[in-house]
Amino acid sequence: MSLERARRVLVTGATGFIGGRLCEVLTLTGAFPFRALVHSAASAWRIARFPLDFAVGDLCDRAAVDRAVRGCDAVVHLAWGDHAVMQRGLENLLRAAVDQGVRRFVHISSVAVYGNHPPADSVSEAAPARPTDMAYGNEKLEQERRVLRHWKRHGLNAVILRPPNVYGPYAPFTVNLINKIRSREVAIVDGGRNPCNLVYVDNLVEAILLALWKPEAVGEVFFVTDPAVVTWEQCIRDHAALAGVEVARVAATALVPPRQEHILRDSLRALPHVLADRDLRHVLARIPVVRRAERLLYSWFQSLPEETRQGIRLSLRGPQRVQRNGAGERQFFSDETLIAAQERAVAHSSDKARRLLGYTAPVSYDEAMRLTEQWLRHAGIIARDGVPEPGAGRVPP
Amino acid sequence: MLPGGSAAVRLGIIGCGAITGTAHLPAALSSADVELTALSDTNPARLRYLQRQHGLGPIVCGDYREAMRRVDAVILALPNHLHTPVGVEFLSRGIHVLSEKPLATTRDECEQLCHAARSTRAVLAVGLVTRFFPSTELTKRLIECPLLGELQSFDYEYGTAGGWAALSGYTLARSTSGGGVLVVSGSHFLDRMIYLFGDVEVIGHCDDSRGGVEANSETWFAATVRGRSLQGRVRLSKTHQLGNRLRIVGEHGVLEVAEGQTRSVTHIPADGAFRHEITALRAPPAGKEPNYFQLQLEDFVRAILTGAPPMVDGEQGSKSVALAECCYRAATPLHEPWSEATLERLSMAAPARG
Repeated sequence: MSLERARRVLVTGATGFIGGRLCEVLTLTGAFPFRALVHSAASAWRIARFPLDFAVGDLCDRAAVDRAVRGCDAVVHLAWGDHAVMQRGLENLLRAAVDQGVRRFVHISSVAVYGNHPPADSVSEAAPARPTDMAYGNEKLEQERRVLRHWKRHGLNAVILRPPNVYGPYAPFTVNLINKIRSREVAIVDGGRNPCNLVYVDNLVEAILLALWKPEAVGEVFFVTDPAVVTWEQCIRDHAALAGVEVARVAATALVPPRQEHILRDSLRALPHVLADRDLRHVLARIPVVRRAERLLYSWFQSLPEETRQGIRLSLRGPQRVQRNGAGERQFFSDETLIAAQERAVAHSSDKARRLLGYTAPVSYDEAMRLTEQWLRHAGIIARDGVPEPGAGRVPP
Repeated sequence: MLPGGSAAVRLGIIGCGAITGTAHLPAALSSADVELTALSDTNPARLRYLQRQHGLGPIVCGDYREAMRRVDAVILALPNHLHTPVGVEFLSRGIHVLSEKPLATTRDECEQLCHAARSTRAVLAVGLVTRFFPSTELTKRLIECPLLGELQSFDYEYGTAGGWAALSGYTLARSTSGGGVLVVSGSHFLDRMIYLFGDVEVIGHCDDSRGGVEANSETWFAATVRGRSLQGRVRLSKTHQLGNRLRIVGEHGVLEVAEGQTRSVTHIPADGAFRHEITALRAPPAGKEPNYFQLQLEDFVRAILTGAPPMVDGEQGSKSVALAECCYRAATPLHEPWSEATLERLSMAAPARG
């Protein structure tokens, strides 16, 4: 596809936050006619505000995917889910695209293909990505390889976009950050000096629109980021100001490392807490063999000497940790997503997207944050002017 | 005694979507006053599933017309745009109808249904089930007594990110649902608001529909209560969580009813020191929540057997439809700068139209 306008674009993941915004922009600007692939009607309200062409179906259902692709000559793939959706669903979509002569396939990947410790040279897309300990990133990497295989073997005109943290109205990143700042699960680590790697959702949408028709895009992988390099310190501080709370600052050395998981020991320790649940025991007691086993186990346990019973209790429950008075320093865990992400020292650059796609990132960070704030107030996630937040329990004067 | 010599009302359920599976069918099967004699849906797989799930006999049919010979009354749980054509067919044959809310998609359609019911003296009831919550009656009694003093304003919010969805997805098109969040989530409150405050007037309404069904709406209403003007705001959302409660502000305090607070209401006196949970003396005990769909069905049957009006009849059910129509007529676009401010710049990224 050259400069020709796509007759119809299929948008998968149309009910997600990027897909929802893409559908809004496509409708309100008339940029391309499109069809929205929807998995569930329950989550389709945002895009149902427009008189849309819907296809309802599951990406793992080959026939449903074929039907959805029929009549479309371009695809923007935004849907995500479990491993089956990520890989088998994508494979179905790629095959349908090849079979039905789709002329442009825009796949939305992620900078997560480099994991939480990207190599220093991943400033540009030329840096090779390898599997890491980040499951989501590995899924995305496998997807990229799948897409590129279809480009090389079947001539599918594929483009891969790698956004970093996408923020803005409806963005899970934005809402999570606000919520975790409020619940004090997030701190600024080591001064928050590393780049946050952000892209405002509308800037990403601009890149998608360009990737749908620019001839230079085919077979290429692009980072899509905001031009301004915003540090974690600024990002967290700006969101904390919206939430109206102070954020703690910690040194990386003070972070609590993730506890090594021991499947057997931890399961045994979790079991008494689970079984202590009265409702669960009530349900389990409907199974005669469980009823019998519980009685036998209880009789056996009661027959043991007191000290043995205490020993078993202690080893199953583990030591009880109570925060002592005065020792109330808040702990932050190094495996918390928004803390681990602050270790990423690389600022991915969208120079290539600027050169080949003509990507301009039309919305500045300041404007983006203003628009995000307006939406957060509208959605009641932060206090609306003069109106308390939902659940705040305050009575108006 | 009913036609056919049966002591129980022979009941059909027309439309077997989500609400039938979770509410109407269990209510019908557990009610001693009705005998379920027909179950109709155009989706044979859904019918087979429900038949097997409840061990039903050969009562299913794909075409609702087949049910007409076998029933005295029906529950209509079809997509909203089908309530009128199908309901009129049943009512014209003297078959009583309990229609899911909203009664119809327009005021004219409501009138057709009411006319058909009047002409054959069939009962037309509307499934506005929240009227059966003890908290609804309790709220009405409390705002009529001096507890709150002069009423100053009311405020209702209900919002969920997505949430309940019709199996067929009919709620996502105006042609089949008659509206968006105002109809899908708001019908119950529009009805309760009229019940609580009398006839209300729409002062203003804005929503985010752009040719489809609105996902967010904000409406301002005015009522006259005890000779004084009372204004209130109703905010609804299908894209995000809201406070999910009704708040009525009076000169002496505030009355709050949270969504799902079926048995009691909360009173916060103006001095704000305490919150009082108020229940009616005859309220069901905690932990023994009645099945309100069963109460609704039994009320419908009582209306059939005694000739007394049902809790919500066709005329009352028409009022909330008429009110929604007034809202849509007054609709202005919801101001969404986050959606519109950047569009012109983004449109530059598309190829020039050739």
